[in-house]
Amino acid sequence: MPDIVFLTLSGLVIVSAIFALEARELIYGAVGLAFSLIGVAGLFILLGAEYLAMFQVSVYVGAVVVLILFTIMLVRRESGRIVEEEEPGRLGRAGILVAGLVALAVAGAVILVVPMSLEAPEFHGIPLRELGRYLASSYAVALVILGILIGATVVGGLTLVKVEREETNSGAAQ
Amino acid sequence: MEPLSSYIILSAALLGIGIYGLVSKRNAIRLLFSVELIVNAANINFVAFARYSNPPMLTGWNIVFFSIAAAAMEATVGLALILVAFRLNGTIDVRRLNRLRG
Repeated sequence: MPDIVFLTLSGLVIVSAIFALEARELIYGAVGLAFSLIGVAGLFILLGAEYLAMFQVSVYVGAVVVLILFTIMLVRRESGRIVEEEEPGRLGRAGILVAGLVALAVAGAVILVVPMSLEAPEFHGIPLRELGRYLASSYAVALVILGILIGATVVGGLTLVKVEREETNSGAAQ
Repeated sequence: MEPLSSYIILSAALLGIGIYGLVSKRNAIRLLFSVELIVNAANINFVAFARYSNPPMLTGWNIVFFSIAAAAMEATVGLALILVAFRLNGTIDVRRLNRLRG
């Protein structure tokens, strides 16, 4: 008997992922992506990883999707719409073919290999304090490297965008 | 509780949708959507396998923690590149950004 919550969440994830790629307006697509990511956060809660769900919502929905929305607004043309040419039909068909083959291969392998009767072990969650201690002791080096990497990424992104603006200004002056 | 294979099949479906977008879309921002979907498919697998191992392994969850942070960074750099490409070319259609082709 499939769990109704799981079915609802997976339907939300799949349908809004398809909507994100197929929506005519890019803005609506970004909102669809946000709903898909929220659905994934719900799956994390079902699997007992509440803190990951919080992290997923705050980082993905709160930061990444908002960043994408801002970028979409920045790359709009004066007419207010992004010029998006129609994909040629054979490209879409090739995409469906490749994606379907990959998904079928993965799902078939899973059905063959993973026993359906595999039950999840008892688990009552762990307190956040324990988790923080574990993360800061066993993964201390990785955390520091992650921090440095995020700083480098921010500086790199700013540099990319800023240098470009100076070049355009000098180009306009010539 | 759902069997493990249902989570993996869901993740395979999400991976398929992401690959479909990567193959057939021409807008750079939609390609970024597809990459995010594929990363999320991998994350679901990590969390599900960690939960269904006995005893549950926190390692998989921590890997997802780092993976989400890395995906946020990837989106930042990707969007900066898209912005630069738009300013240089006036389009973000990846099939017309072919200036590097010989």
